Amino acid sequence: METGNEQGQKAGLTLAEVRRGLAGVKGKKYWRSIDELAGTPEFEQAVLKEFPDAAQEWVDPVSRRGFLKLMGASMAMAGLAGCTKQPDEPIYPYVKAPEDLILGKSMYFATAYPSAAGALPLLVKSDAFRPIKVDGNPDHSYNKGTSDAYAQGTLLDLYDPDRAKKTTYRGDNRQWTEFMETWRSKLIAAKSNGGDGLALLSATVTSPTLARQWKEAQAIYPKARLVQYDPVSRDAVRAVLGAKDVQYSLTDADVILSLDADFLSGSSFPGFHKLTREYSERRKLATGAKDATMNRLYTVESTTTTTGLKAEHRLALKPSEIPAFAAALAVALGVSGAAAPSYAWTDEQARYLKALAADLKAHAGKSVVIASEQQHPSVLSLALQINEALGNDGKTVFFTDAVNPMPTEQTAELKALVNDLWSGKVDWLVMLNANPVYDAPADLNFKEAMSRAKVTVHLGKHADETGSLTDWQIPASHYLESWSDARCYDGTVSVVQPLIDPLYESHTAHEVVQAMLDEPTKSAYDAVRETWQPVLSKSGDGKSADFEMNWRKVLHAGWVDGSAYEKAATATVAKVNAPTPVGKDAIEVQFRPDPTIYDGRFANVGWLQELPKPVTSLSWDNAALMSEGTMQRAGLAEEDIVEISVNGRAVKAPVLVVPGQPENTITAYLGYGREAAGRVGSGAGYNAGLVRTSDSMAVATGATLKKIDGRWGFAVTKSHYQDHRSKFAGGQGTGNNSLEADEALTRGIIREATLEEYKADPGFANEGETHPKVEKEITLFPNWDYSTGNAWGMSIDLNSCTGCNACIVSCYAENNIAVVGKQEVRIGRNMQWLRIDAYFEGDLHAPKAHFQPMACQHCENAPCEQVCPVGATVHTPEGLNTMVYNRCVGTRYCSNNCPYKVRRFNFLLFSDYETESLKLMRNPDVTVRSRGVMEKCSYCVQRIEEAKIAADKENRPVRDGEIVTACEQACPATAITFGNLNDKTSRVHALHLNERSYGVLADQNTRPRTRYLAAVTNPNPALMESPVEVAPTAG
Amino acid sequence: MAQIFDRSSNALARMSLVLTGILVIALGVTLNELQRSPWVTRQGQRPDQPVPFSHRHHVQGLGLQCQYCHTSVEKSSYAGIPPTKTCMNCHAQIWTNADLLAPVRHSWATGESIPWIKVHDLPDYVYFNHSVHVNKGIGCASCHGRVDLMPLMYAQNTLQMEWCLNCHRNPGKNLRPTSEIYNMAWKAPSEEKPVWCSVTDAKTGVPTAQSVSCVTDDPTRNGATVASLEMPTAPGAGTGQAGMGEAGGGGMVMPASMMYTKFTSQKALGDFLIDQYHIRPPNQLSSCETCHR
Repeated sequence: METGNEQGQKAGLTLAEVRRGLAGVKGKKYWRSIDELAGTPEFEQAVLKEFPDAAQEWVDPVSRRGFLKLMGASMAMAGLAGCTKQPDEPIYPYVKAPEDLILGKSMYFATAYPSAAGALPLLVKSDAFRPIKVDGNPDHSYNKGTSDAYAQGTLLDLYDPDRAKKTTYRGDNRQWTEFMETWRSKLIAAKSNGGDGLALLSATVTSPTLARQWKEAQAIYPKARLVQYDPVSRDAVRAVLGAKDVQYSLTDADVILSLDADFLSGSSFPGFHKLTREYSERRKLATGAKDATMNRLYTVESTTTTTGLKAEHRLALKPSEIPAFAAALAVALGVSGAAAPSYAWTDEQARYLKALAADLKAHAGKSVVIASEQQHPSVLSLALQINEALGNDGKTVFFTDAVNPMPTEQTAELKALVNDLWSGKVDWLVMLNANPVYDAPADLNFKEAMSRAKVTVHLGKHADETGSLTDWQIPASHYLESWSDARCYDGTVSVVQPLIDPLYESHTAHEVVQAMLDEPTKSAYDAVRETWQPVLSKSGDGKSADFEMNWRKVLHAGWVDGSAYEKAATATVAKVNAPTPVGKDAIEVQFRPDPTIYDGRFANVGWLQELPKPVTSLSWDNAALMSEGTMQRAGLAEEDIVEISVNGRAVKAPVLVVPGQPENTITAYLGYGREAAGRVGSGAGYNAGLVRTSDSMAVATGATLKKIDGRWGFAVTKSHYQDHRSKFAGGQGTGNNSLEADEALTRGIIREATLEEYKADPGFANEGETHPKVEKEITLFPNWDYSTGNAWGMSIDLNSCTGCNACIVSCYAENNIAVVGKQEVRIGRNMQWLRIDAYFEGDLHAPKAHFQPMACQHCENAPCEQVCPVGATVHTPEGLNTMVYNRCVGTRYCSNNCPYKVRRFNFLLFSDYETESLKLMRNPDVTVRSRGVMEKCSYCVQRIEEAKIAADKENRPVRDGEIVTACEQACPATAITFGNLNDKTSRVHALHLNERSYGVLADQNTRPRTRYLAAVTNPNPALMESPVEVAPTAG
Repeated sequence: MAQIFDRSSNALARMSLVLTGILVIALGVTLNELQRSPWVTRQGQRPDQPVPFSHRHHVQGLGLQCQYCHTSVEKSSYAGIPPTKTCMNCHAQIWTNADLLAPVRHSWATGESIPWIKVHDLPDYVYFNHSVHVNKGIGCASCHGRVDLMPLMYAQNTLQMEWCLNCHRNPGKNLRPTSEIYNMAWKAPSEEKPVWCSVTDAKTGVPTAQSVSCVTDDPTRNGATVASLEMPTAPGAGTGQAGMGEAGGGGMVMPASMMYTKFTSQKALGDFLIDQYHIRPPNQLSSCETCHR
């Protein structure tokens, strides 16, 4: 453990070091972390090791002596292990078997994950009526089977052992019926005065049924009120469009501009699945090099996101500069009535603006400007005006009714509610799935205000910060346990159908609101049916139809046919003027939903906590993300703790440098610093909400930074799995180019070209000195003939991958991967089978990046197999590199010899064998690995076998597309394709023959079965001559 | 100084060397035998079940077909243990007061499962699939033995990996026509009792049982009996292929042109069925990922 601390104590980089690092570098170069860029001694040390520091050491407090004792015992027992008898296992058959159940065969049910950004239609896999895998509904036109990291993580959220289990009143266990009695008697008493003093505070209402119930309740209790609040609100949309939403279509967009809109990195942006699919579809280059066309993405943003790094041209601006930039762009494009605040743009910024305006103008009607919802409303307003001026409305931009049934400006409403609480106007405060004590703006002091209410009720999945303070705490049902409904991005209604009976004594918001109506105990199921009875009792042509029949159809398909909103080409856009930027020297703090745990609601989901965040590869924490220059000026180093004072409040946060972050801009992800999240989420990170006030929900300006004592240890995964081979293989070893970077460049780990280069030389990915086309036949071992039968292979399109992480979480769920905890991640023991390597390129301040999903490559000539002394990793006749867990004795030779660093070792017993609720979640087709066993990507061998058995029984070959790996299934960009290489009609066969297809480190003669499609970018020639560089201001 | 060890010690020393060798070998042999012994494998052991259910009585005596209880054997990895309801189908009418059946009635009354003890218990890291075996011509009795002769259930075989591999490396020796899967008394074909098999034209895209038909009575005589597994037609599989017709249900309509081949040895039948049932080659069948994931 001491070594762990030492690692945390490494000296910070100086800007001079980084500059020195950059000085000798010409042309393209890649790097993966700041340390690597500067070539610090720590980095040099790290690359020499197979696993990071201390990974080999015993971190449990077990002495060497104790260890030897244990070892002695296990040595003695080793020979006898084979002779142990299995214990008697009981079988508990059904008493009456459910009619449709075939034990051992999974069933799939359509449902939807409701979220404020629009519901995600799902098809959930159920094994013996336990939901075990959440995936997108493949028949739904919105997401076409894809999903995202949050939705995948909701499965673990359902089985979270820390969920609230009992209704409590001031800490004592009570029954739901006792609450209902109290609630009803209050309601009866309040009827005479119209419900005065009744206030409901809910998370954004996503359910049309709940909205209907509330509307009916409102009729009975006109003075009662319902306030909605989510810390990540869509207030900007409400301010600009009122009760309308804007939708984008990227299919016909040749030029896309994102104004701080992070639409490629996760479903916190509405329409993420559709937008990512449409974006990547235009980058598949399916027509071949000659007629290749692509879209072009410009991103102007304040926090480095995957959207920015995928962009052909990215401009980093301070948050307060973005509205001004949007206004300047509007002026340049001749938007009538647009006025830009005068601002001294740098030459580079001005040049970017000019080129961008020209490009947008040239693609009028075939372009789109997408604006952030977490920015000043003027950004959205100006973006929509620009779209209108360009004639994009009705082509790439549409307007519909709001997805959420009760659109309101949430922050203002919450403020009003808190005022009423202070003035004692609220008797009963009922909070539905909200956690305002944690996430309400700091200036409202919600915790104090809440205590002014006579009775407080909290319906929530966890007894969280709010639930532990309220009088009543009622366990809320998870969406996989309860009936509800919701609308997805395009307005299509999905019925949220439960997959399992509530695990605990939990209830829904529908039941609480229903108690206000005439039939107080009507179930959520009946309420949802009642809502859709009028719609489903009519057929498409307006004639009456059988409701029951239609209802069953809806449950089967997952959505209500024809319920999508009408798309309008125009809407009334409120004109909001852009405020003047606060100046280049003022430090601004931008608050954003976290890419892995959103607003904190997934804080106790271990999969998402451990998931390395895109760009920073930080897991288990948030940080004060800032640029190198900002850090230097404040006299800070990475992992230092800084006190950020803003809005008259202060918060302590650890510092992390992010490439491409604009100067004097700090990004604070929300959702961390939870105190009552549960065993996983409590205590991770810091609470950025402590300095977030109701008038600075998106950006706070005028912050001051003060270094305070102490250091923080981050669990950053990107410096793991460095490879030292190139040191011996003639790596430059200057310390400028990291070894990894050398490989990315000289050994062609990342291969890319511009569209023009690609057209001129379609075979660029397999030509030239640095991109050798390796087809070696020599090997020490006899070549295996793979020409008959199945030959599994995978193709990953680097042009499509946006690094959104959906695949990794899907892999967690499918393959029973263990969560190891922050301390173990710090020493390099994280267990994800699939990682996304981000290779940065160019200037630290204006980097480009490439995202490369990296899992076992299933080499035909696998180096790992050759060194395993016990035959625990062997090749199958179909070309899979398999792990036989029972043979593995944990020598880790295989991992040592793996050039891709994709093997994961169970140093300790990481899998949870004890917690009851987690047992229900496991995929029964995959072994739960124990201590001392190596594991890695298996190409989802359980799915391969299932499909092979189905095909064998029908005497036919496996069809292309019949086997879908978990990562492929989740990918919103359809970047991953799996199939049979011997099937000449398969997609993967064609993709492997594609001229852009290359194998990573294929010069090692590993003959990987996973191949990558080289990236092609489509830069604007006007910005090509000298790339935009935002030079750091003097440090 | 006198010798400490007498000359005779040499013999003793040599003997102890030999003895040590023998002991080591004996220990090895013992452990080897031990881990294959019924004490470890539970082969042949009859655990105390809540109800002393007799397969002999129900199968041989009453003629119940296997799938009456083990309903999912053709469809799923798991053959299925019948719910209490299946017992009560009959035992609500007969033996309604038998003491032996008290646990069944208790289960029915209270809704609690009957806690059977697993007789065929594979380790948890083995992913065995009943359906593919049954559909590819491995009869119940090949693994479970003559269940119809067992008054109390026991495991006929060790279910150890070497036993699995014995067949996976040479599947032909256990293959039988799928029409004979549930036939407990099936014997490999011989000169005295040959088997006749015929093949329809459609070999791919249709369930195995529909493309191969085997009979144990001489089809050239009248009254040939044809049985086959009932299989759902594959989605997307071509219907109306040559010789297939729309034959539904259990039986098949035999095209007149169908030619029967006579088999008089298991070797010949096995080779024929390996070909017809598209049994994967031994290297694939014995590849690790077939059973372990």
